Amino acid sequence: MARAVPNSRKAINTAVAWTIAILIFFPILWTVLTSFKTEATAIADPPVFLAFDWTLENYTAVQERSDYFRHFWNSVVISLGSTIIGLIIAIPAAWAMAFVPGRQTKNVLMWMLSTKMLPPVGVLVPLYLIFRDWGLLDTRLGLVIVLTLINLPIIVWMLYTYFREIPVDILEAARMDGAGLASEVIYVLTPMAVPGIASTLLLNIILAWNEAFWTLNLTAANAAPLTAFIASYSSPEGLFYAKLSAASTMAIAPILIMGWFSQKQLVRGLTFGAVK
Amino acid sequence: MKTLTRALLGASALCTVSLAAQAQSDDPVTLTIATVNNGDMVRMQGLTGAFTEAHPNITLQWVTLEENELRRRVTTDIATGSGQFDVLTIGNYEVPIWGKQDWLAPLDELPEGYDTDDLLPSIRQALTVDDTLYALPFYGESAMVMYRTDLVEEAGVTIPDQPTWSDIMTAAEAMTNEAEQTYGICLRGKPGWGENMAFLTAMANSYGARWFDMDWRPQFDSPEWQSATNDYLTMLNEYGPPGAAANGFNENLSLFQQGRCGIWIDATVAASFVTDPDESTVAENVGFAQFPNKEGVDNHGNWLWSWNLAIPASSDSVDAAKEFVAWATSKEYTEIVAEEQGWRAAPPGTRTSLYENQEYIDAAPFAEMTLTSMEAADTQNSSVQEVPYTGGQFVAIPEFQGIGTAVGQAISAALAGQSTAEQALSQAQSITEREMQRAGYMD
Amino acid sequence: MATQHSRAAARFMIAPSVIVLLLWMAVPLALTLYFSFLRYNLLMPGENPFVGWENYSYFLTDPAFQTAIVNTLILVLGVLFITVLGGIGLAVLLDQPMWGTGIVRIMVISPFFVMPTVSALVWKNMFMNPVNGLFAFLAGTFGMAPFDFLTQAPLASIVGIVSWQWLPFATLILLTAMQSLDSEQLEAAEMDGASAWSRFWYIKLPHLARAITVVVLIQTIFLLSIFAEILVTTNGGPGTASTNLTYLVYAESLLRFDVGTGSAGGVVAIILANIVAIFLMRMIGKNLDA
Repeated sequence: MARAVPNSRKAINTAVAWTIAILIFFPILWTVLTSFKTEATAIADPPVFLAFDWTLENYTAVQERSDYFRHFWNSVVISLGSTIIGLIIAIPAAWAMAFVPGRQTKNVLMWMLSTKMLPPVGVLVPLYLIFRDWGLLDTRLGLVIVLTLINLPIIVWMLYTYFREIPVDILEAARMDGAGLASEVIYVLTPMAVPGIASTLLLNIILAWNEAFWTLNLTAANAAPLTAFIASYSSPEGLFYAKLSAASTMAIAPILIMGWFSQKQLVRGLTFGAVK
Repeated sequence: MKTLTRALLGASALCTVSLAAQAQSDDPVTLTIATVNNGDMVRMQGLTGAFTEAHPNITLQWVTLEENELRRRVTTDIATGSGQFDVLTIGNYEVPIWGKQDWLAPLDELPEGYDTDDLLPSIRQALTVDDTLYALPFYGESAMVMYRTDLVEEAGVTIPDQPTWSDIMTAAEAMTNEAEQTYGICLRGKPGWGENMAFLTAMANSYGARWFDMDWRPQFDSPEWQSATNDYLTMLNEYGPPGAAANGFNENLSLFQQGRCGIWIDATVAASFVTDPDESTVAENVGFAQFPNKEGVDNHGNWLWSWNLAIPASSDSVDAAKEFVAWATSKEYTEIVAEEQGWRAAPPGTRTSLYENQEYIDAAPFAEMTLTSMEAADTQNSSVQEVPYTGGQFVAIPEFQGIGTAVGQAISAALAGQSTAEQALSQAQSITEREMQRAGYMD
Repeated sequence: MATQHSRAAARFMIAPSVIVLLLWMAVPLALTLYFSFLRYNLLMPGENPFVGWENYSYFLTDPAFQTAIVNTLILVLGVLFITVLGGIGLAVLLDQPMWGTGIVRIMVISPFFVMPTVSALVWKNMFMNPVNGLFAFLAGTFGMAPFDFLTQAPLASIVGIVSWQWLPFATLILLTAMQSLDSEQLEAAEMDGASAWSRFWYIKLPHLARAITVVVLIQTIFLLSIFAEILVTTNGGPGTASTNLTYLVYAESLLRFDVGTGSAGGVVAIILANIVAIFLMRMIGKNLDA
């Protein structure tokens, strides 16, 4: 950081980075812009970038047809619920693996991760039948259970890699002072682990929010989250680009904004042990 | 593992019994309705206020999905008896098959004034199993030619009321102007038994082809299938829009409304959307003609389809659902649509009375051709050759969904240029043979 | 160091995770295995007789099966290749001093937050559509005929869409790793007259090795079961050009409603996924222990 960088080089870096970043971001930007156009402007040739009459009619049309807030609320409950339950189950496990590693620890961890490789379609019908029999179809509880389970391995692993970086000396000092296991976790570890837990929480909310296989197949109306909301716009009905864009913007905006505001926390823990 | 499975299955039986309580008729009821995101259904969803006003104890919850997605969800639900939905939107392909399996609630004791005899006979017959109706038709359709009168004139060609395929191909060629992104003909290319195979099967019918001979042997190796498929591919490759292999009904509707297509041969129900000045840029210039036939073959494809509302036997609010289904397919509903959005928007193809209504005939230039096409469709004898099955643009056996979709994939691969027509057909032949053998139709 | 007591406690703490995951794997898997030996079609209720290996032989002899395996590999390797290379490039770039790092980073990270269904819909309709898409317009301005991405190059298009979604993830992890590099080491190398290239090749890249393994592992887990993107854009077609194993199993069990064959396919897919998993675990295990 001490090195002085010539402004000319900095300018070149800036130009290149901005160009690439804008290209990567463009599809999202274009979708948001299109959502404010009329259907006719949306397919205008040549495309109009900014100079059009901005309208909210697509948002009204989408809201009128599918109750956005119900879907939004379902998404919130399901992604938060599954992440929090996942954390409650995973924190003790990750703690134990990180600080009391046994011979099998690594294998258990890898086995957990390998359960994520189960192709979901392979077990859809059996799970559907089980859900039917337990009355879990189209309930938020059912989705919370499934999403907790599919994200649990990732949660355990992220926490494990994070906990491992906490110096053991501190724990030993706490033990010397006679701290029991529980108080060790609550008073010593947890405060140190908060950043790691926070970023795990964020990442899993994102994964759960965007999960589109189970949420689509196990819900009908009551528990349908935003992934189901967007599914009803997936084929054209006459001119539909603007409406599709509005629905897309509504579906991704909450998580996108959350992601932007919390990106520092998210990035800090998003290493999966990649950094030593 | 076996014990586990048994335990789970046992638990299932218990739950089914304990949950089988019925709702009383005046208690508040929520109906979950699964429907397709086609224009008429979206309109119905918009008009539900009229229903809930008259039935304050009933709340409606909509699950509106794209056709394939809907079919998958609804089929899984009903086949496993899950009862997530109270009203299903299904085609006349499913109704008889599901009715026979007792998956649907019989629709007798309809409200007074429903007038079942007013339903078009061919449609009504398709929804009846052993003299019992298992679904009520929401709208019905055959297929016909829709074309741009202005482009036809400009190109100096004509399309007669009963065109042959060579009339269509000549006109399509003359209207194609790729520089201006005007394409002579738009047809379904998206794989699926209800998408490209619906069209191609009807087209093959009009070439004198059939899916199976009387021993259930698939017939894709016949000269009729070959010439139908060749012409289909030629039309789309030479005069069709780019990306035709991904276009289904809705995609083509959108293209036609934007003025990109000279001719579009598809479901008659599209007519009310392409002539709607609010949605279509070419509303003033649309002409209609009957589904083409090949010279010398007296067959106009025999396309007959209806989207129907049915009630799964597993629903726990059958009575309320019945009220809704009867309302949405009634004359009264048609009048509500007409009042709010004009007669042109009335759901077509289900009731004789609609076609005797002068107001409708005046407002809908396509009414006559729609009725002609629907009356011409014979689903009992879909080909000029003898067939062991019923159904026009589909074969009414449960295996057809799977087979039709796999064959549709093979055809779309040929359309995308990955294989030749010959390769696609021989692939279709072997796929179908394989499935029919497995299903025990042939050995 | 760990006492008997803490060992027991540790087991007790790990137990809930292991038990729920075990149930989650075992119960549906047992049922899938059971169904895979039955003739069981949802559309044809009645008896579901035991048919031995019939479903397996039927699934494995399906001509689409081989295509699906190849497509799955192309999809996974293609996306890994693009995102790892692109991620390294972007990480190096973003590590340089520049103005507005915060905004650049926000823009680059954004695709990661977009639902797969939404991104597939947007790419399919608003960019790749050969009539109304933005790419078709661009081609037109250069006087070229519009390219029909999803028909002419379905698999490559899907690889492109998926790479767009995963590039941010790779970039972030690699960037974090890059920033953990000791800057004194770099400065020393620079003093010694090492060129920018050799600094990258001999210092930065080896430092990233661990991060790259992590990116490969995590992404492979998600990429093996790519589904929504295929369903939305191509439905596995044209033909079977973009059918991967997940999609093939889906087609059997939910388009043909043949749960027996679908379950057999599911079992095959699970076995193959586990083979990949073992490979990966070996590779990762080595790299992570170091």
